[in-house]
Amino acid sequence: MNDPMDQPIIVLENVDKFFGAFQALKGINLTVRKRERVVVCGPSGSGKSTMIRCINRLEEHDGGRIVVDGHELTSGDKNIDAVRREVGMVFQSFNLFPHLKVIDNLMLAPRLVRKLGKAEAREQAMHLLERVRIPDQADKYPSQLSGGQQQRVAIARSLCMNPEIMLFDEPTSALDPEMISEVLDVMVDLAEDGMTMIVVSHEMGFARKVADTVVFMDAGEIIERNPPAEFFEHPKNERTKLFLSQIITH
Amino acid sequence: MSFDIALVFDSIPKMLEGIGLTLELLFLSTSIGLILAVITLLMRISGRRFLAWPAMAYIYVFRGTPILVQIFVIYYGLPQFDLIRESIFWAILREPFGCMVVALSLNAGAYVSEILRGGLLGVDRGLHEAGKALGMSTPQRFIYITTPIAVRLAIPAYSNDFISMLKATALASTVTLLDMTGVARTIVAKTFAPYEIFIAAAMIYMVMTWFIQRGFGLFERRMSRYVKP
Amino acid sequence: MGDVVGWLDDYFWAAMVVVRVFAASLVMATLLGLIGSAAKLSKIRIANGIANAYTVVFRGTPEMLVLLIIYFGSAITLTTIAQIFDPEIKFVDIPPFWAGALAIALVVGSYMTETFRGAFLGVDPGQVEAARALGLSNFQTFIYVRTPQMWRLALPNFGNHMLSLMKDTALISVIGLEEIVFVAEMATTVTLKPFTMYFIVALIYLAISTVITLTVAGLEKYANRHLESGR
Repeated sequence: MNDPMDQPIIVLENVDKFFGAFQALKGINLTVRKRERVVVCGPSGSGKSTMIRCINRLEEHDGGRIVVDGHELTSGDKNIDAVRREVGMVFQSFNLFPHLKVIDNLMLAPRLVRKLGKAEAREQAMHLLERVRIPDQADKYPSQLSGGQQQRVAIARSLCMNPEIMLFDEPTSALDPEMISEVLDVMVDLAEDGMTMIVVSHEMGFARKVADTVVFMDAGEIIERNPPAEFFEHPKNERTKLFLSQIITH
Repeated sequence: MSFDIALVFDSIPKMLEGIGLTLELLFLSTSIGLILAVITLLMRISGRRFLAWPAMAYIYVFRGTPILVQIFVIYYGLPQFDLIRESIFWAILREPFGCMVVALSLNAGAYVSEILRGGLLGVDRGLHEAGKALGMSTPQRFIYITTPIAVRLAIPAYSNDFISMLKATALASTVTLLDMTGVARTIVAKTFAPYEIFIAAAMIYMVMTWFIQRGFGLFERRMSRYVKP
Repeated sequence: MGDVVGWLDDYFWAAMVVVRVFAASLVMATLLGLIGSAAKLSKIRIANGIANAYTVVFRGTPEMLVLLIIYFGSAITLTTIAQIFDPEIKFVDIPPFWAGALAIALVVGSYMTETFRGAFLGVDPGQVEAARALGLSNFQTFIYVRTPQMWRLALPNFGNHMLSLMKDTALISVIGLEEIVFVAEMATTVTLKPFTMYFIVALIYLAISTVITLTVAGLEKYANRHLESGR
């Protein structure tokens, strides 16, 4: 599965992040290769979200290096918009633009940033809505959709920018249980198409099924990093074992 | 023409001769207004049409017309009727001061009743149900649960309305009263130094506004002591 | 009734003056509110300071005083300047229409500043993050994501400010603008029916208020159309 031809596309070296006096990330090292699927898990407050938010610079790291597809992220960065175009992000709370219809949510960034024509942007948007299996909702407003449908629209909206990498920040945590699988199915499709993905999630079934690597974080550090079979069957660290037992008894 | 800073400070003591009248107007009309507001609110939420509709009409009329026009209708307009001039109210309505208090109170009553209603609507329904589940009667729930929370929610808007009332007292000068603005206007008529005198007056109003905001701010903090640790 | 009929066309034209001064003042107040709120939310210290001073001064001063300062202040300034060129000139003023519109706009603009500021802050920060994550620039985010959502939140208060602005126009009669209060004053001296004449003024204002209230309600419905549940 880990094709040796695949080059590192995301590199984090010794990354630190502080919120005031609180250190959210402590010397994080992580390399993600092209087409690799990484699932990040860990207790709340462990720095999972902060880490992936640093990758498209919604948070600025305070120490170490982050390199995304050859661009190093530095303060006062001029090419941050170029990086963001390559990195799609899906949020826990969807963050769809409530004042725009579904189709317009999908067309906004391609038209403004990629300067696509209206017809072209619409065609692409409809194509992606089909891919996330809700082309019939194109003319509704986000508030008229279920949570699962909204999250699928959010995924399609990110895909409109033709990203190389997709980041998912707890994409199913805000959903009712019966809607989780429809979102995960779309993510599985995406993984099978060879998208590079980093997914912050506690959906262990999803991790087993699609992840190449599972990363466990606690207190701002990466505690363990292994292929899923190894990770779930033979966790090495005590904290990992404790976390897994809590997740499973849940 | 030059701006005379000394004149600004010289005129402040003279202006303060009008502050008594300004404060009288403010406190009389906000007090009467508050009583009117509570009565109006109770009528509105009574669930009885013959009470709710007059209350709504009163609010609609007084919120939909300028205070200046209300003052003129009362001060210049009412004496048109013999009925008024022969009534016991004439003692109040023949004086510009009485008319001013009546107009400002009626105005405050309409606005404040809407502010209180907003506070009432902001109270979580769940608290009502919790009170009911504990076996509290309707009046008990209204007095011990709804009112304290509604009052807290209404304070910021009420504070703003209080400041609007202060600013509205300046209209007293249009019906010959010598409140602070009235005094300022007479001084300007003599000295013809509008910048200095009016800015001095504005400064006094700003200080009063500051005290009102501060006062309500402290009150709100006291009422909210259970919200934040 | 006979007394009223003769004055109806005066009231009508005066009401048109009210509508015009309202429109002029509303445009100015909205611009002041947008600029003021942008200044308050900016990271530039001087802009914060000026905007804060602006709102403190104009929210703390009676409209009447602002009007008197603008009108008589500008008149005395203009007269002094004019006398430099021609000592014969006795009095120059800004037309009461514009002095009044400006004075009211300054006051209401200070309230709008606070309303717009609150509304901008009320837009979910996740919206800005989503826009940034899609690669939209700060400016594009402001125009296409923040402002359209800010409007919806600002509308109820904006409607109230429109009503106060409209009612404040009555003050301009004090500096001699020939609007409806002014007409009532004239009519009273002729007919000796003050109640009737001022009552008509109240009715006209009530009618304009109603139109504004209904318009704002319609706008709110339009602005919230995306929140109506489809199911």
